[in-house]
Amino acid sequence: MKCLVIVPAYNEEESIVRVIENLKKHYAAYDYVVINDGSSDNTAELCRKMGYELIDLPVNLGLAGAFQTGLKYAYRKGYDYAIQFDADGQHRPEFIEAMLDKIQEGYDIVIGSRFVTEKKPHSMRMLGSNLISLATRITTGRKVKDPTSGMRMFNKKMIAEFALNLNYGPEPDTISYLLKQGATIAEVQVEMDERAAGESYLNLSRSVMYMLRMLMSILFIQNFRKRREVKSK
Amino acid sequence: MTPIFRILLIVVSLFTTYYILKRIRQSKLQIEYAIFWILFSGVLIVFSLFPWLVSLFTRMIGMQLPVNFIFLLFIFVLMVKLFFTTIELSSLENKVKDLTQELALEEKERRDEQKKLLEETNSVKDRIIENDR
Repeated sequence: MKCLVIVPAYNEEESIVRVIENLKKHYAAYDYVVINDGSSDNTAELCRKMGYELIDLPVNLGLAGAFQTGLKYAYRKGYDYAIQFDADGQHRPEFIEAMLDKIQEGYDIVIGSRFVTEKKPHSMRMLGSNLISLATRITTGRKVKDPTSGMRMFNKKMIAEFALNLNYGPEPDTISYLLKQGATIAEVQVEMDERAAGESYLNLSRSVMYMLRMLMSILFIQNFRKRREVKSK
Repeated sequence: MTPIFRILLIVVSLFTTYYILKRIRQSKLQIEYAIFWILFSGVLIVFSLFPWLVSLFTRMIGMQLPVNFIFLLFIFVLMVKLFFTTIELSSLENKVKDLTQELALEEKERRDEQKKLLEETNSVKDRIIENDR
């Protein structure tokens, strides 16, 4: 049983060393790979200097492209499970084990969720999260409590499917689409930290655009897609 | 707006939406790029179904004919879209250039290293042969 921790990093020079050192020191059982997404700061140089496992993209692809690179690597190397893990220190590695236990019960995707047993706080961000949950529920009839969590674990079949297909971004609309197509998805309670460094990608206009895209995609576009399953190696 | 014009707008919008969805179904178009066209078609359909909306906007900006408002909307929206497409195209071209250069440079560096390695092993071999004599 092999599990790969995929750490997409875009301009994370302030936090990358702390995150990877923590992984290497306390969680050496998991393999990891940093995907440097064409950062303009010293993220790649730092990783090379420290001798980290690094895939260095020469141009910026965005999160979806960077994460897919990690999944392609996992696919080629024959990993059984892969998990998306933020480089900014929000995700905590002590919860990987619980997610691994869950996915071994036979789920396709396990989401590291902040709201399985905890209650959602009331904020603008959570309003967005609720709207996406609602849209997912309307189209699939299933409840996803934390659809925007970036901490997601995939099994071998999903690794292949995500690695080789178009429109498989690591976003809530893909989750909704796969649920509709009969994939099994579970949530495991995790805690997340505030980001240690760097600025959040989401400002107001980006958040509005993101919500518009997600809602249109989940409520309308995903209903017309045809699934192409891929045989895993 | 005449009924024929409204029907024409609806037909064109539906056809656009159908074609976009077909491309997505065939995995040939990214969803990000589909959003604009589907929204645009949606707005046209709404205007065709509720022409009083168009009349309202027409009067608001002091135009004579509702159909002129529709034309203005088309020109504005498509101009903005073209503007952003140009920006995207430029950054895309830049990325392709960077990528190509990166690949070619890497390949050259790899060959240089191989050549250096080969020369070193050859000189070592020569020395061994000389020593044997």
